[in-house]
Amino acid sequence: MADIILNDVEISNLIQEQKEFPRNYEILFQTKDKKGHREQEIILPRSDGSQFKVILRQNQINQLAFSLILGYMPPKTTALIRLRRYNGKSHYHTNKIEKETFYDFHIHQATERYQAAGFDEDGYAVTSKEFADIQSALDCLVKDCSIVLPANRQLKMKWS
Amino acid sequence: MDITPIENEFKKKISEKIEIFPEGKERFKIFTPFMFADGDHLVSILKKSPKGWVITDEAHTYMHLSYELDMKDLEKGTRQKIISSTLSMFELEESDGEILVTVENNMFGDALYNFIQGILKITDINYLSRERVKSTFMDDFKAYITEKIDENRRVFDYFDKTHDPEGKYAVDCRINGMKKPLYVFAVANDDKCRDATISCLQYEKWELPLRSMAIFEDQEKISRKVLARFSDVCEKQFSSLYLNKDRIEKYLLEQIQEM
Repeated sequence: MADIILNDVEISNLIQEQKEFPRNYEILFQTKDKKGHREQEIILPRSDGSQFKVILRQNQINQLAFSLILGYMPPKTTALIRLRRYNGKSHYHTNKIEKETFYDFHIHQATERYQAAGFDEDGYAVTSKEFADIQSALDCLVKDCSIVLPANRQLKMKWS
Repeated sequence: MDITPIENEFKKKISEKIEIFPEGKERFKIFTPFMFADGDHLVSILKKSPKGWVITDEAHTYMHLSYELDMKDLEKGTRQKIISSTLSMFELEESDGEILVTVENNMFGDALYNFIQGILKITDINYLSRERVKSTFMDDFKAYITEKIDENRRVFDYFDKTHDPEGKYAVDCRINGMKKPLYVFAVANDDKCRDATISCLQYEKWELPLRSMAIFEDQEKISRKVLARFSDVCEKQFSSLYLNKDRIEKYLLEQIQEM
């Protein structure tokens, strides 16, 4: 059995924990041009030295190819554990344990059983009808992952 | 356009599992069984471009690699060389992160074969020997010693210039100003523990007057035999920097006050 970094209860607790974005988060969320995609990230420190990291990626060729990640970095490491990942409808995905393949909008979820089987922690994904583009996926990320934005603000991907 | 002959060629050349689905005008998505470690499949799109039919990843491969790697790491050193030779070997092109192959002389099967092989080789970069989880232990160790010990009493990465001009038996920090200097090793893994053991034995051989001490990142992760050998030659050990800061400080204070 492979190492389990986070069990299901810990994963759930981390997702449910409130993550308050600072008032100036839009300044911190600078867009960087990478190879064929744009990326923004913000780090939210926790009191024990660990961190949450929210990473947004948008492919520059296909609007439906995006990736929105809530990650967790345990104290004293730079290892990013992906707790949730919202992907667009741009590629097939196979759940290796369940042996099911689909082509749809989907949400990767960190699970104990995938870690135990030696797969990537977020190798399991479920299809979603809750979003159909990057903006609706961002809204899901905020809602599902207990992200608290300053009043009257909506999380958006910046383009410049 | 009748895609069936192309699909059959793909099946024959690469895998029976390959399927093609239309997705817009002169654009087809190709299902292949090849995937990344997280279960996401490689993206292969067959589409008409100004220079003819191409198979492209639409910049998906690099975006996926960015989950694990810093994109800057792909533009230098070994990774850059592997990418560059792979592109050349499989006659692929890369532009602004998009990797594609042009279908020459209607040889769709050969083009997809090259494309898949090239993309798989590039995704293997993820598994190069670099530590995928980089610890901050050494940085934390240096910050801690810097905070606790005056600058004029410490030397990081010290080696004995007389006996060891090449610095093969260095110690992470030498604390001076006592009758016998204190050599402090920061130990994160088995390899470092073995190196520290060899250094201590060498110091004994040279009859250097010193005291030795080790601070582990997590002593429980060191294999028993390696740790047993090290314990024979190192005077004082702390099992973890993070859980023993107070005790380490007390010990260091006792040592530096000893004239």
